[in-house]
Amino acid sequence: MESGLTSLLSVSIDFETSHLFFPRIIHWIMAVLFVIILATKTIPFLAAVKRGERTLPILGESMDGFRFFGTLALIVAYFYLMAVVGNLFPYTGYGFLFVSMVFVLLMSLMYMHEWTKKGVIIVVINAIVAPSLVWFILAKLFKITLP
Amino acid sequence: MISGYLDGLGMVLQLGTLLAIAGGTLLGIIMGSLPGLTSAMAIALLLPVTFGMPPVAGVGMLLGALCGAGASGSIPAILLNIPGTPSSVATTFDGYPMAKKGEAGRALGLAIVASFFGGVASMIILSLLAPPIAEFALRFGPAEYFSLSIFGLVIIASVAGKSLLKGLIAGLIGFFASTIGTDPITGVGRFTFNELSLLTGINLLPALIGLFAVSQVLKDTLEYDPHERVKESTHRIDIARPRFLETLRHWKAVVTGVLSGSVVGPVPGAGGSIASLVAYDQTRRFSKSPDKFGTGYAPGIISVESANNALLGGALIPTLALGIPGEAATAVLLGGLMIQGITPGPLLFDDQGGMVYGIFLAYLVANFFMLLIMCLGIKLFIRVLTVPRKQLLATILVFCFIGVYGVDGDVFNLYLMLGFGVLGYFLNRYDFGTAPVILGLILGPIAESNLRRGLQSFQGDWTPFFTRPISVTFLVIAIGLLALTLWQNYRAGKQVSASQGSGV
Repeated sequence: MESGLTSLLSVSIDFETSHLFFPRIIHWIMAVLFVIILATKTIPFLAAVKRGERTLPILGESMDGFRFFGTLALIVAYFYLMAVVGNLFPYTGYGFLFVSMVFVLLMSLMYMHEWTKKGVIIVVINAIVAPSLVWFILAKLFKITLP
Repeated sequence: MISGYLDGLGMVLQLGTLLAIAGGTLLGIIMGSLPGLTSAMAIALLLPVTFGMPPVAGVGMLLGALCGAGASGSIPAILLNIPGTPSSVATTFDGYPMAKKGEAGRALGLAIVASFFGGVASMIILSLLAPPIAEFALRFGPAEYFSLSIFGLVIIASVAGKSLLKGLIAGLIGFFASTIGTDPITGVGRFTFNELSLLTGINLLPALIGLFAVSQVLKDTLEYDPHERVKESTHRIDIARPRFLETLRHWKAVVTGVLSGSVVGPVPGAGGSIASLVAYDQTRRFSKSPDKFGTGYAPGIISVESANNALLGGALIPTLALGIPGEAATAVLLGGLMIQGITPGPLLFDDQGGMVYGIFLAYLVANFFMLLIMCLGIKLFIRVLTVPRKQLLATILVFCFIGVYGVDGDVFNLYLMLGFGVLGYFLNRYDFGTAPVILGLILGPIAESNLRRGLQSFQGDWTPFFTRPISVTFLVIAIGLLALTLWQNYRAGKQVSASQGSGV
């Protein structure tokens, strides 16, 4: 770092903070791009919302809220319960098997708009057969650990 | 090289491997023929099944899925005018009119044989080009690898998102996610929030499955239309006869398709729809009767379908030789290779030559299975089209879950997958694209460690990144591409405002 030119052409990285060297570059570029997109896209969009031409995403949209949040809630419950039930029968994969059956059943019922006898029977058969098949192939044939 | 092929042949010609390839092809065909389920998703869902297999069998299964999904998107495109995968959009131009004329079987036969020719030709190109590229890449030092990863990210950012800015942001999200975990050089934990599972960094698999499969399921649940009815095809087809002679008669369309697929394929992020549209356009331009296109003209189908499958072989070149995937499906394939303990890149050709040639041959075998299964099972695949998508959502989620849990049995990865799924949903919804995130995640560690290693070995001097010839070539092309995309956007914007101005 003797003269101005050499110091411009080289960088010295302090060992203490060297692990943050690359992330810091990324953060700065991301911050700059974020400001650009805010200026070019988001501000005109919000102005259009104010004028009533566009609607806000999620909040102002007409959507199937019950199914969307129901799906998310079911998925989280599925992951959580699988570990819980799996601990009751360790190393068998039963946690996966039973909880998956319930999950597939509930989810399919949620997406069935007209409850017909035939429809319900198909859903129930699918909920029992599909996870059992997957469980048999993966846990028994390929010996993959399942909860 | 011949001994390499013999080694590879020994790995492929085993009953288990052949069965795995056939099974992968069958599943790929089914996934590809269902609109909305892409080949990237097919591979992501097959990953857990391949864990317990020997490497060539596992990779062969994934290649089979890639090959099958690449070809079967034409089934709904021809019968229902709905492209099964993005790359079969152009198949609808001539395939559906031909089916409407009552020649659905002929259209399918042409599409299948054209896919087969495209796949085989691209495999030959792949096996000729990949080894010399890998050998060339052996000369790469830190500076070259850093520039190459920047180059890859810029290319995918400029084609994947609707705008360059959005693509770059998506890529940087991937770069940032790749810095989570233990620092590769000094071993300090970064952004782990004391979460034990994050110490090893973000696993590729939860990110892949979340971004490509879970986000699609979320999209289907949120934007689900209860009044949607499954369209049923009115055509009765029992078996699709392959039309070799008719396809060969239009050899110019095959060559155009193979060339466009092989040229577009290796470009990171360019994707299938671009290759097939280029092929369609070129074939029409060089045709003696361009006015017949769009009315059910055979060369239209042939060029598009051969381009579709030629693209896959092309996309495998940078994936295997440099470790940089050509598009979304090969990005997932790359993840699968890494899980099998195969690290793609120039060293792979040096260390495990037999494995590489085994992969080439497996891809060739997959093309033969695709031809066979598509011709014999066409009746089944037409039936598959009538399965309602909503019934599949829950089952797909179960598969996603096993794929992620099966890698290391860590429940944390499941929530990570869900997080990436929500992220991917919003990225797709606002046209950022999910492919740049994955590429950023794969290229991030390469870029970071080579940048720092380079600065160390050049003693803090950063000019070698711009003075070494190969490195500077990559950077110049990347910057040129950035400028070109910006200029195109500027011109398109000007045209839009001009047409709006004249319209008022």
